[in-house]
Amino acid sequence: MAKTKQGNGLDWGSTDKLTDNGKDGLYGREAEVNGNAIPQEERVDKYGFIGGAQQSGGEATEEIPIEVLRLRESKWLEMLNNWDKWMAKKHKKVKERCQKGVPPSLRGRAWLYLTGGKVKREQNQGRFQELDDQPGTSNWVDIIERDLHRQFPFHEMFSARGGHGQQDLFRVLKAYTLYRPEEGYCQAQAPIAAVLLMHMPAEDAFWVLVQICEKYLPGYYSTGLEAIQLDGEILNALLKKVSPVAHGHLKKHKLEPILYMTEWFMCAFSRTLPWASVLRVWDMFLCEGVKILFKVGLVLLKYMLGSQEKVKACQGLYETMELLRAIKPQYMQERFLVHEIIALPVSERDIEKEHHTQQRRWKETRGDLNCKSPPRMHGAKAIMAAEPPSRQDLRQRPTIIVESPLATKTGVLQADDAKRGKNGKDWPKTTILPPVETVNPYPSSSDPLPLLKHMTLQESKESLSSAEHDTYL
Amino acid sequence: MNGQIMGSDEAYNFVFKVVLIGESGVGKSNLLSRFTKNEFNHDTRTTIGVEFSTRTVQLNTFTIKAQIWDTAGLERYRAITSAYYRGAVGALLVYDITKHLTYESVERWLKELYEHADPHIVVMLVGNKTDLESERSVPTEEAKDFAEKKGILFLETSALNSSNVEEAFNSVLTEIHKKVSSKEVVRGSINAVTLNGSKEETTEESKPCCRNI
Repeated sequence: MAKTKQGNGLDWGSTDKLTDNGKDGLYGREAEVNGNAIPQEERVDKYGFIGGAQQSGGEATEEIPIEVLRLRESKWLEMLNNWDKWMAKKHKKVKERCQKGVPPSLRGRAWLYLTGGKVKREQNQGRFQELDDQPGTSNWVDIIERDLHRQFPFHEMFSARGGHGQQDLFRVLKAYTLYRPEEGYCQAQAPIAAVLLMHMPAEDAFWVLVQICEKYLPGYYSTGLEAIQLDGEILNALLKKVSPVAHGHLKKHKLEPILYMTEWFMCAFSRTLPWASVLRVWDMFLCEGVKILFKVGLVLLKYMLGSQEKVKACQGLYETMELLRAIKPQYMQERFLVHEIIALPVSERDIEKEHHTQQRRWKETRGDLNCKSPPRMHGAKAIMAAEPPSRQDLRQRPTIIVESPLATKTGVLQADDAKRGKNGKDWPKTTILPPVETVNPYPSSSDPLPLLKHMTLQESKESLSSAEHDTYL
Repeated sequence: MNGQIMGSDEAYNFVFKVVLIGESGVGKSNLLSRFTKNEFNHDTRTTIGVEFSTRTVQLNTFTIKAQIWDTAGLERYRAITSAYYRGAVGALLVYDITKHLTYESVERWLKELYEHADPHIVVMLVGNKTDLESERSVPTEEAKDFAEKKGILFLETSALNSSNVEEAFNSVLTEIHKKVSSKEVVRGSINAVTLNGSKEETTEESKPCCRNI
């Protein structure tokens, strides 16, 4: 076998071109399975995964009719444009819509708003750039670099060494170690950041990561990992009510929560579930908080170990661990899982109550907690209440705007003659609403005077992506 | 009952739990996958929590089921290791021969090991990534001497090209077996075999395959 360089650091100068034409993603170099090289070309799924990774094998994914999707998109756009009002007065509706699943085209933006990442970004303009410009402390940089090619290596965004995905991952994680030097870097932050980067540019991903680490899961990634251990105990305690059989089995075989729930919770199930389910879980998690993670854990434990028949099949600690590592696809399937999560009667109050109990127990058996994390926020509404934004903070700021020929009618801006001449069609009459933010993942460092001004027609009955509304120059 | 098959894939006489420890990125996960599945991947994902795999080997006339555990190497994960070490009878303490820093932390790892694991645990110091000989920064002799001084086994391996991987694991398993044979094995002990003869965590179930000596 050829000698392959491990690559300790990143060599920006020579980005590894693992694909000839950029069409198909490839694995990292010379991966082999059972002594045979993996074939170079594998199909990429709609989420960006190569060769069927992170999907439950062969089952039909839930396909939403296009009309429904378009309707949901327009509803979400409306919510995002009036975010503070919706969160204050119609939060229940927001929650419901998150439970239904955020439309893929708006997922990144929804997550940005739900987590308060948008507000954080607006209130800290220039901060990420500042952190990004710094070299970072060498010990953290070294450790982060070792992990860049180890996050979702079967995802086309992260498969190329030194590629944009890995570069952005580095930027986000490094920035965090500078933003919170006392926290530094914890390996589970990498998959979290990677999931975010699949949906939004680096700066946004950074602020959402901050919110997740500080509001949703405080202490999870800190030295001592006390918070995750505590949550493991809470999970176990809640399991007693949800599934006494499962609870009893785990107790009998002394299978401590830390042995099975660590990766689940620290990575918010992004390494456990099929991708469609990961996205649905995150939609709910970022809206409602950590109780969603608890619910997922409880559902999986209940269905894998919740009956006498099932526990009889695994006689020991190791066998049980193996079972929990290979959750049956039907229990992780999107529709089933979401339904079970919503149906499970576990509330924030239950979690907080158990939290107090477990904290007390900890103090009695292990002494004081070293890490005094701030109390966690149970979701978007709590975060917003704690960090109330100004209207300005929430305003969508488009980075690409294209002039619409209707501009003269609404008294906004001059239409572009060249553009009008191009189609020669009559534009449909619709209301023009404030510009919708189009996120440019690669903003130029120079003053971003947009060359194009784009007005989207938000309340239009037509499809937002319809070719008739093509306003590109 | 000697090696009776009852509901399991293969008959085995013993189950030995072996843990892989060492700094992040030294190759623990690939040593695991190379030994148990004959797989290697440059981009094995970061271990978070616990990974494990088994392989059954023949040692002389005995059939040993090796249960290999792997976990995150990063410093802060050490906070959750006690459950990980429980019942382990062997350990591979891995460092990267091209990164001297990973070798420097070996003392700390040993300390951690003896604090949490069975005092008679069989330990092997493993210098991994010999395929990168040109980038070596830890001399073989130096590590060998250190291991001798500490009374632990030593080998250099490459999970990438398989060199010495079998030898490393087999060596440890053989050594464990020697220790086990020389002492009394607890009747009914299933998932772990301790080396000090005291009563182990047992679940007295009718799982076969433990042989009393």
